[in-house]
Amino acid sequence: MQEDENRAEKMKVTVKVFATLRRFMEKESQVTIESGTTAGELLLMLTKEHPGLNNELFDETGVLREYVNILKNGRNIHFLNKLETIIEENDLIAIFPPSGGG
Amino acid sequence: MDGYTNKIAWVDLGKGKISIQETDAEMKRQYIGGRGFGAHIISSQMDPLTDPLDPENIITFMTGPTTGTGIPLGSRYEVCTKSPLNGTLMSANSGGVFGWKMKKAGFDGVVISGKAKKPTYLYLENGNVEIRNAADYWGKTTHETTDALMADLDDPKARVLCIGPAGENLDLLACVINDRDRAAGRGGSGAVMGSKNLKAIVATGDQQIKVADPDRMDGVKERIRTKIQENGICDALHLYGTSVLVNIIHENGILPTRNFQSCDFPNPDDVSGERMRDTILKKEKGCYACIVKCSRVCEVEGETHEGPEYEGVWGFGPDLGIDDLPLITQANWLCNKLGLDNIGTAGSIACAMEMREKGYISEGPTFGDGTGLLELINQIGHREGFGAELSDGSFRFAVKYGHPELSMSVKMQDLPAYDPRGLQGHGLAYATSVRGGDHVYGYLISPEVLGSPEKLDPYESTGKALWVKVFQDLTAAIDASGLCLFTSFALNADDYADIMSATTGTEINATELLRVGERIWNVQKLFNLAVGYTKDDDTLPDRFLTEPLQNGAPKGRVWERQPMLDEYYAERGWDNEGVPTPKKIRELGLGEPGIMHAHT
Repeated sequence: MQEDENRAEKMKVTVKVFATLRRFMEKESQVTIESGTTAGELLLMLTKEHPGLNNELFDETGVLREYVNILKNGRNIHFLNKLETIIEENDLIAIFPPSGGG
Repeated sequence: MDGYTNKIAWVDLGKGKISIQETDAEMKRQYIGGRGFGAHIISSQMDPLTDPLDPENIITFMTGPTTGTGIPLGSRYEVCTKSPLNGTLMSANSGGVFGWKMKKAGFDGVVISGKAKKPTYLYLENGNVEIRNAADYWGKTTHETTDALMADLDDPKARVLCIGPAGENLDLLACVINDRDRAAGRGGSGAVMGSKNLKAIVATGDQQIKVADPDRMDGVKERIRTKIQENGICDALHLYGTSVLVNIIHENGILPTRNFQSCDFPNPDDVSGERMRDTILKKEKGCYACIVKCSRVCEVEGETHEGPEYEGVWGFGPDLGIDDLPLITQANWLCNKLGLDNIGTAGSIACAMEMREKGYISEGPTFGDGTGLLELINQIGHREGFGAELSDGSFRFAVKYGHPELSMSVKMQDLPAYDPRGLQGHGLAYATSVRGGDHVYGYLISPEVLGSPEKLDPYESTGKALWVKVFQDLTAAIDASGLCLFTSFALNADDYADIMSATTGTEINATELLRVGERIWNVQKLFNLAVGYTKDDDTLPDRFLTEPLQNGAPKGRVWERQPMLDEYYAERGWDNEGVPTPKKIRELGLGEPGIMHAHT
């Protein structure tokens, strides 16, 4: 079959989840995404594959819950481009449900 | 009927004199309770230059008006004294049940001075105080002391606060333990009790604790109960305990390892709250009136006790390069039994490990090696062998061997579990804390990492000075109220003002509440200035200013002391040297007569 020249390049990223999210997916997994994928699109993809995640990460209106933190290579995407942050090859994405201590 | 019992017991152990005084109305208005009462009483009754281990030093144990009222998370009491570790006017906060029991015994608090001639304990029951012989309990661990007193008194309603061998041996790392495993941990207050031959305080009774406006209080309770239950952070605290932070802090690149040399601990998940839940956790536990239940009851090798918490897990784990969670748990329990501050104990061991690694000492523990860890902690508590070198904290140890730069401490108190190079605001809170290296006098981790109440960029220093001031002031007010600091994940200053108004019957708004916190902060600051602390002490170990982090997202960063520090002084209304201006002092009503000072 002829390769589609416009087809986006595939790449692998690592996704780590913590606390209650481990009820719904492996604590660490390799995920294949298309280049140009944003953090928001990655989360959407993950919630489709692991339906339980949705309620943990998003409220009833589909907005990311307060105190959910998504890190791209250790940097909170809130200080990058939020859910529009572009995920790059070999990135480590860490997803935390609301949690804290002291 | 205003949340207070309206009785404070003043005890002079040297003279064997007890005086029960009415809780001063003006003191209630200006300082609320808890940390506020302790700071006010000590600063107004005692020369700041008093030797902390001299009989003249005062130690107070104070509840807040909400303590024991049944309001969720209203369980706390505060120990205040001049710290023998660093000379600051310190406070240390603890939960459990003891604070409630002090109120049931009929007291808002106890003020203790003097030195008893022989081992002694205080017995508080229904408005009466007795000084009793503690000869049978001296030398015992906190667990043994508690169990023996409970058996001897044969009163299941009684609760015990005590010191262990560390306090008796005047370790400057000694803490106060209540309810077997709850610690008022920092600052060395256990040594002050030891110096007074005061082994324990027992509280029991059936006095009623009433609030000013029960109907309003019912509504307030319901509202804040809902806010706490619906708060995601509080929910995670219940499931995973405070150690849920291990992975969070690690992934942010700020989990210190090997005495803060780096933040690249290889196995954080092995010591995480998640791992704890999957392995050694027996059940969750809460303090009096708690609906969060963040405490862990764990089992290791047939022993079951409360703990550990995040700070202790980090201290005996990543900071020592150790990933053995059962051993870390045992190390924490041993600190509780001996009555040792686990942060200070772990920090001192980490310092010794780095000194050994660099060849500055020829004996002592090594990073990553848990062999002998429990024996070393035992030695620290009993001031024996090599451990005796560490009984007074890392700073004195590092100075003795000529390398003070390897003590990861602020104002001689060891730092907790967050690397300030990736946390500009939290670093400022460390540097300016009026009790020295500390994380609960201004927990900027909340906005800088957890995103509560809003997300602040941890690498940004601009604007942090005001945040630090507000967090410090609000925390001081919470510490005065008798509420647990964890309420602050769910509640705001308006909520606290509402709670206080319903409890005491004196209307207070959020601005006024913050002003009380600011007053407490300035009282402690003025005391510390009189002790001799200066602007030069409002800083962090050089490592954080000169050695950039080598890994993770904050790679290349250091802590930027200025201009944040000067901005902070300006926000506080202090001069360029960090001294409260006469205008600020007047504004806070300090330095003027007017408050009755009860005294024995």
